Amino acid sequence: MQPQPVAANVPLFETINVSRAFGDFRALSDISFSVHAGEFVSIVGPNGAGKTTLVNVVTGLLRPTSGEVRFLGRDISGIGPVELARLGMSRAFQLVNIFPALTVRETLAVAIASRLRRASNPFRSLKRDGVLQADAERVADVLGLRPKLDKIASRLSQGEKKLLDIASAFALNPAVILLDEPTSGVSTADKHAIMEVLVEAARSAGIRAIVQVEHDMDLVERYSHRIVALQGGSLLADMAPRAFFADPAMIAAVVGTRVRL
Amino acid sequence: MAELLDVILGGTFHAAVLFLVAAGLQLVFGVQKIVNLACGSFYALGAYFGITAVGAAIKLGMPPALFLPILVVAGLLVGLVGLPIERVLRTVYRRDESYQLLITFGFLLMFQDTFRYFWGATPRTMDNVYLAYGTAHFLGIRVPTYNLLVIAASLAIAAILGLFLERTRTGRIVRATAENRDMAEGLGVNASRVFALVFTVGCMLGTVGGALVVPSSAASLDMAVDLVVESFAVVVIGGLGSMRGALVGALIVGMMRASAISLMPEMEMLSVYLVVVAVLILRPAGLFGKAAV
Amino acid sequence: MSHSSIEIARPALLRRTMTLNGIGVLLALIVVMALLPFVASPYVLLLMLPFVGYGIALLGFNLLFGTTGLLSFGHALFLGVGAYTAAVFTSKLSILSFEVILVASALLSGLIALLIGTLCVRYTKIFFGMLTLAFGMLFHSFLYKFYAVTGGDQGMRVLRPLLLGMEWRGGKTAFLTGPFYYYTLVLFAGLGLAMWRITQSPFGLHLRAIRENAGKAAYVGVEIFRMRLSAFVISAIYGGIGGVILAVTTGLADPELAYWTHSGNLVFMAVLGGTGTFAGPAIGALVFVVLQDFVMAITQYWRFVMGGILVLLVVFMPRGLAGTVEMLLSRRGREA
Repeated sequence: MQPQPVAANVPLFETINVSRAFGDFRALSDISFSVHAGEFVSIVGPNGAGKTTLVNVVTGLLRPTSGEVRFLGRDISGIGPVELARLGMSRAFQLVNIFPALTVRETLAVAIASRLRRASNPFRSLKRDGVLQADAERVADVLGLRPKLDKIASRLSQGEKKLLDIASAFALNPAVILLDEPTSGVSTADKHAIMEVLVEAARSAGIRAIVQVEHDMDLVERYSHRIVALQGGSLLADMAPRAFFADPAMIAAVVGTRVRL
Repeated sequence: MAELLDVILGGTFHAAVLFLVAAGLQLVFGVQKIVNLACGSFYALGAYFGITAVGAAIKLGMPPALFLPILVVAGLLVGLVGLPIERVLRTVYRRDESYQLLITFGFLLMFQDTFRYFWGATPRTMDNVYLAYGTAHFLGIRVPTYNLLVIAASLAIAAILGLFLERTRTGRIVRATAENRDMAEGLGVNASRVFALVFTVGCMLGTVGGALVVPSSAASLDMAVDLVVESFAVVVIGGLGSMRGALVGALIVGMMRASAISLMPEMEMLSVYLVVVAVLILRPAGLFGKAAV
Repeated sequence: MSHSSIEIARPALLRRTMTLNGIGVLLALIVVMALLPFVASPYVLLLMLPFVGYGIALLGFNLLFGTTGLLSFGHALFLGVGAYTAAVFTSKLSILSFEVILVASALLSGLIALLIGTLCVRYTKIFFGMLTLAFGMLFHSFLYKFYAVTGGDQGMRVLRPLLLGMEWRGGKTAFLTGPFYYYTLVLFAGLGLAMWRITQSPFGLHLRAIRENAGKAAYVGVEIFRMRLSAFVISAIYGGIGGVILAVTTGLADPELAYWTHSGNLVFMAVLGGTGTFAGPAIGALVFVVLQDFVMAITQYWRFVMGGILVLLVVFMPRGLAGTVEMLLSRRGREA
């Protein structure tokens, strides 16, 4: 699906007073924030702050107990992963999530076949589908996986598996991509490299906004346009990195104070 | 009214036996995450072996009052077959579930012909045992004493099992291994031995159940598969992984079968299959269990 | 110069061997079967007919198990549906056209699969296996008990059908080992080609994705329920057609066709041949049919032997015959 043209002031997606409780436990309280075209938003917060719950609500996996989630103006509470992908939002996971026996090419083809609605006719040929194959190669290129196209996913390195997971999210040609700790498990030296690849890939793939959950504050500071900070299920801050990092109280709440030994 | 009580008591009797088998299934599943498709075969094994044991007892001139304990002992003994079977199952613990299903299915086939070889293809019965215990007056109707004894025995076994798991050291080790095998091993638990123990106990519950039921019904080749579906029904109704669910599920299925027998005998097994389907449509997670996968 | 020409030659040879996998192997097998009447006795040919029936049913079974990851213990239900459709059409409705019977059993099997699949494919693994087992036995119960309609344990006769509208006026064996033999082989080849297309399509890829990681598949837009149900229905259609062939071969539709051990045989054949390959299950069917004939001649306790072999297979050779061969070939290829 091609991302539709959207005016810059209409949010791509937004949460409006979203709360989510599990029994007595309030995981999210009254969260409102929005993401616009061209933005790179980082969701930060200590463990247990509700980041994963927020992501699950925003991606339609969980229904909010109250409040709304809108994507391009449309209510998406509880729509489920398949509808979500169709609407134009895709998600990559924190823990490596692959199809072990499929090759890189096939993995990407799964996403592309969904997008192009190729799966309804059981007699189409996969190998001879020029459009699909070209698209798989394009996505692989964009994320540097081209040389590994015919390698079986379970035999990739950990970092490559991560990239593949992200690549399959890219292959859906989403308007918004949600990355759950994209650099976790990656060595510090590689983290910047991966971020650079991601940002550049998103740009060339026509993805209009990136939202990530991330713990590494250096990366957050460097790449985000905005930081959404959660603490104990509440929205602590929603501001540009400069303002965020200038406020020691903010940093302390999210990261903890720097200890000089 | 008397008919209704008849059905209720008949159902409870059947439920008592079913509960034993279902408890065995739940135990094995809870600890080892294995579903034993051959559980019905153990039940049938207990039934057939029970017949042989009592037949031998009669020849030796033992008093009929001993028949019930003999059946229990026979059940326990033949349940030891679980040990070698568990050793074979060990090879697929860490592999995909389909392999477990395939292996236990293979055992199911092997058991089928084993029964045919030792006991023949026609169903075997054992009427004299039933009569030997006579009848009792219970709530205004005549009930075979045997049924009451079995219900009592089943409750006793359930209680012992519960106490074992909750109060004894070995029971705690079993529960710990169920929660987290690797961690338990890290703490020095010999998980293999725990698994062997649990599986064998699970099998014994099945064999004892089969042995206890055989005086009132026949041991037949169909038993094994009928029971797999029945115990599956119990587990579906009660919820996978829950002992309480096994109890409630067993009662419900037992009652259903008893009602079917008195109302429309040909529908007996059919009614069980239909109940499984109905429950899965109406309440997939069962009454006490976690969501079905 | 000569050194590099050897290097070039080797991958090419391997590429050729590799393309002989899947449909190639199946078609080669069918060609061998087609040549069999020139060298084999009618007894052997009669033995091969069930192989064709099972082979077709297994193509369907493996779409469900090998490709989509759903292990059914009730696939024989559809064999039964096909068989009884043939019986009802020939002996009760006097419709003898084989083509009509095939289409009817395909439709009926598909319809039944649509109904029970809507419930069954919501579940996976154990629950799916148990549900399919239960439905299979439900059908068996029905066939057995409602004897007024189905003939009970006596079964229902299946009369000789017309092939392409033509009637065979000769003997039964001549019919079965002659025109019927070739007809079913052509059917097998055609259905095999269709299944190959299916597995090689984006649809087939989506099924494999569901098998590999259903959770992730949903996130990349795979409609899990619909895909699984479609696979279930297709597998049922193949099962029904296989059942028709079995019934015409024996001349009888028997409730035991739907009994759980018969479903078990199908599982056994698939695992024996190798569920990870396309032609594996068909190879498994061939070996099973021959093996069973052999074992049955020695002992009546062939189920014990089969069960034992199944256990040994799962423990020592889970890839099955074809799967193990394929693995060994690819290993040699990589070392080359």
